[in-house]
Amino acid sequence: MIKRDMNVTTTGGRWLLVILCLPFSKCIFADTTEAEIPAGVDISSWVCKYCEFEQGLSGELEGGVGYVSDNSFKFGEYNGLNDKGAYPIGNATARYRDENADYLNLRVRDLGLDTRSVGMEGGRQGSYKLFLNYDEIPHYISDSARTPYRGNGNDTLRLPSNWVTAGSTAGMTELDASLQDVDLETKRKRLGVGIEIIPARKWETAVNVRHEVQDGQKATAGSFFFNAAQLAEPVDYVTDEVEASATYTTRKWQSKLAYYGSFFNNHNDSLTWQNAYNPIVPGQDAGQLALPPDNQFNQVLMSSGYQLSERTRVSGDIALGRMEQNADLLAATINPNLSVALPESSAHAQVNTLTADLKADSAVTSKLRLNAAYRYNNRENKTPSEVWDWVTTDAFTSAARKNLPYSFTDNTVNLGGEYRIDKVTKVNAGYDFEQKDRTHQEVNRTKENTFWGKASVRARDNIDFAFKAAHANRSNSDYNTVDETQPPENPLMRKYNMADRQRDSASLNAGFIPHERINIGMSVDLAQDDYSNSPLGLTKSREASYNTDASVILTDVTTLHVFASWQRIKSNQAGSQTFSTPDWSSKNNDTFDSYGIGVKHQLIKDKLDVGADYVLSRSTGKVNVDSGAPGADFPDLKTDLDSVKLYSDYHLKENLTLHAAYWFEHYNSKDWMLDGVDPGTIPNVISFGEDSPNYNVHAVMMSVRYRF
Amino acid sequence: MKKTRRVPLSIPLLLWCLLTIVISHAGQAAPPVEPASAGGKAPKTAPASVSAVEYSQKGADTCIKCHDVDSEYPVFDIFKTKHAMKADSRTPFAGLQCEACHGPGVKGMASMEEAQKAGSHVGKVRPGEKRPPILNFGVKSDEPVETQNRMCLQCHEDDNHIAWWGSAHEKGEVACANCHTIHTAHDPVLDKVTQPEVCYKCHLKERAEFFKPSNHPVRFGQMDCSDCHASHGTGTSTLLIRPTLNETCYTCHADKRGPFLWEHPPASEDCTLCHTPHGSIHPALLTKRPPLLCQQCHSQIGHPSVAFTTQGLPNANPSGFLLAGSCMNCHSQVHGSNHPSGVKLMR
Repeated sequence: MIKRDMNVTTTGGRWLLVILCLPFSKCIFADTTEAEIPAGVDISSWVCKYCEFEQGLSGELEGGVGYVSDNSFKFGEYNGLNDKGAYPIGNATARYRDENADYLNLRVRDLGLDTRSVGMEGGRQGSYKLFLNYDEIPHYISDSARTPYRGNGNDTLRLPSNWVTAGSTAGMTELDASLQDVDLETKRKRLGVGIEIIPARKWETAVNVRHEVQDGQKATAGSFFFNAAQLAEPVDYVTDEVEASATYTTRKWQSKLAYYGSFFNNHNDSLTWQNAYNPIVPGQDAGQLALPPDNQFNQVLMSSGYQLSERTRVSGDIALGRMEQNADLLAATINPNLSVALPESSAHAQVNTLTADLKADSAVTSKLRLNAAYRYNNRENKTPSEVWDWVTTDAFTSAARKNLPYSFTDNTVNLGGEYRIDKVTKVNAGYDFEQKDRTHQEVNRTKENTFWGKASVRARDNIDFAFKAAHANRSNSDYNTVDETQPPENPLMRKYNMADRQRDSASLNAGFIPHERINIGMSVDLAQDDYSNSPLGLTKSREASYNTDASVILTDVTTLHVFASWQRIKSNQAGSQTFSTPDWSSKNNDTFDSYGIGVKHQLIKDKLDVGADYVLSRSTGKVNVDSGAPGADFPDLKTDLDSVKLYSDYHLKENLTLHAAYWFEHYNSKDWMLDGVDPGTIPNVISFGEDSPNYNVHAVMMSVRYRF
Repeated sequence: MKKTRRVPLSIPLLLWCLLTIVISHAGQAAPPVEPASAGGKAPKTAPASVSAVEYSQKGADTCIKCHDVDSEYPVFDIFKTKHAMKADSRTPFAGLQCEACHGPGVKGMASMEEAQKAGSHVGKVRPGEKRPPILNFGVKSDEPVETQNRMCLQCHEDDNHIAWWGSAHEKGEVACANCHTIHTAHDPVLDKVTQPEVCYKCHLKERAEFFKPSNHPVRFGQMDCSDCHASHGTGTSTLLIRPTLNETCYTCHADKRGPFLWEHPPASEDCTLCHTPHGSIHPALLTKRPPLLCQQCHSQIGHPSVAFTTQGLPNANPSGFLLAGSCMNCHSQVHGSNHPSGVKLMR
């Protein structure tokens, strides 16, 4: 066990408060940030008579109707167009400004959809501003799930009264007849308010509050030993966030002191579900899952930057936080035949966080620039470690286990230099060091050394080119299995976040402007990780992506934009079925290609604008598991997406526009985890029997926009 | 028994203290920044202060006589923006108007050789001659990026820009005007729906990632890049809005924060050990399909170490270890469990 100095944080906290205050004592005497009018410049005759300062009310209203041809959660996953049928279109923007700098901006989007949002900002510019935002963010997860359970969306799931339990799904005679659709979907509703006040020159203060309600249901699962069922987990969360800050800004010195608080509240503390299988032991008639517990996070942050000279700047951040969770614990089992005493009625979970960084950057000469940074990040888990008698899936009392409060500490140093060879070319090189300490895990410490170099060319107007390469070597102090893990882990397993690793990466970013009307971009990213000291676990991974895009002004009235992207992600891993040396291996090979083209054209000058966008994307996931047995190659995981959008704006009058749009999407997917899996297909899992999504959806929209 | 040496809390605090001491003994403020010499060199202070003679006689009226709505470079939309608010003493139009940002108009910038040769930007230009430039911004600017940005930072070195200097975008010579459009009523990068397209100008890979079947809803206008990233610099290498990656994720996923009685250590350490943030071809933004994802770390005796092949597909012997939720059919509490019997993340 690690002996912890309980006083460190509290003592540190006191020091911190003192230290955080020090910078402000200096600031009081600093200068202003406002642009000054040079001495001798008389602007009294700069009357700005041609300046058309916008004052009064202006804006745009849009109203119309849209129609979606088919139901599809995947098409409407985040856009609110999940249901077949008509829906209203409502958008608005409004702006008010007056000569006293009073202003109000309003933006309303998607009033007729589940994605509606309203944003307001107003105040007196230079003095204060107020915000009010309201957002709805739906997530339509699955519309093909089926379940025999009743009460979905609540914290208790029951089977129909005529349910017949069995040892496996094959014997559940009422399963098929009991199935009902259950839509998996959640929705966030966010209300944010904020105020920013400039109480005096150089000062800014702000308070932002966000209240979010998230409700709906998502997928989870519960099991009785090896017999499981996919279940709808109720989502009924309220999260409140508060951020308050005060900023002092001068040309030399900027400081921000802030408080951040996040408070999560779950209206359901558990999900109880009836056992659909024959109980393994008497009394195992229902199970209970703990749902995410109420918790809170409080943090004080300080950021500062100081311009030591025209060429040298130092900056730093420090953030001291605490995560706390002390929700009442559920009973160890709801099997009435078992009785287990808990050592505590709640976890008293507490994690202290401290993040601090310090950066210095100096243009030593006109050609040479050096920088250094140090970062410290500590997650200190103060949750008491207790010995817990526990019950395996409401069936058996198991050998007592101790909860392990995992802590992490990260120390990172970055050193870098930049040398400008000539006015268009520069080279950079650097060294990064990271040391990561963990408790209660297989490795106490990893160290990683990274060397990198970069060359870039920036010739104005026509070429911009940067190439970067890096090599990193990570090694661990020693790898030992964790005694508390039961059953024990294979001693040859090397978890990839703690394993020895050689990482090489290279990237190329380029931009070309071969003609003033043509702009071409390109990027290549390559990375490879080798875990050559890992007999089991992840042994190798490769990632490559090639991307390009171009925008072309074809004529004065026609623009074209195209993009293409190819991505390959490969990895190898090894396993051991015999709890010894590797006896099986696996290869994963993911590809993702996407292409897009968009055209905008002014068909009739000042009257009719038209446009079209087309995107095609294809993904393939190949999985091979080679254990010497037949059936190593899995069917390909596939998705095809084709998306076409056509739109036009017909200007009926200078301030009145008729907008019409058509959107078609085709989506096809194949997923061996879902395809052919009905709720009763797996003997020991009552699954949702979901289908991998496929759809062809047409959507049309017609609206009128009025500008005032 | 494991022991870990930790860096005491006092070290970062001492460093901060040191920073404060250094600062309190530092020299005087640098003079206001003037545009530097062209040609990519580090900025220099102008040899002499800009005299009144170098400014135009009529301010903005001089400029907008030509830069009207029909010109090649129209600017009138600036009058719909916060920069053009005379009653706010901090804004350009409360002071030097166009020349607050674009520099003195009559002589052009002293450092611009072209201007020196050909005369003033606002003076007469003979047929065939190119009009001498003024201090301008963006990809076609003659000025070094640093010079352009210093002009903006004279007023905007506020709380959002404390970490700009030395940040990835600053080191990569991204000009403020590469992302921000000033002479427009609505700067696209400040709007949730239009912002991503601005970022994709350089981040081509990310544009494609959001088309992957599992994604964060950036493509649908429900999130923007700045929901997670602070483009003006932060302490994290990927410019995250909170001090750590997990704290950034918890701003929307506070249900995953815990701390739980039974933690899954990689989930508490780094969400990206299992998830990829922008898009994935696997569900829930996972980096790989389970059970292989889980078997990268778990090879205990019994079912975690078994090679699950196509023999577990529906047309053979349908396997609960492979299909539907795979490992999560039983171990559903992968982010941690607060159940007294949740040690195996099954309750």
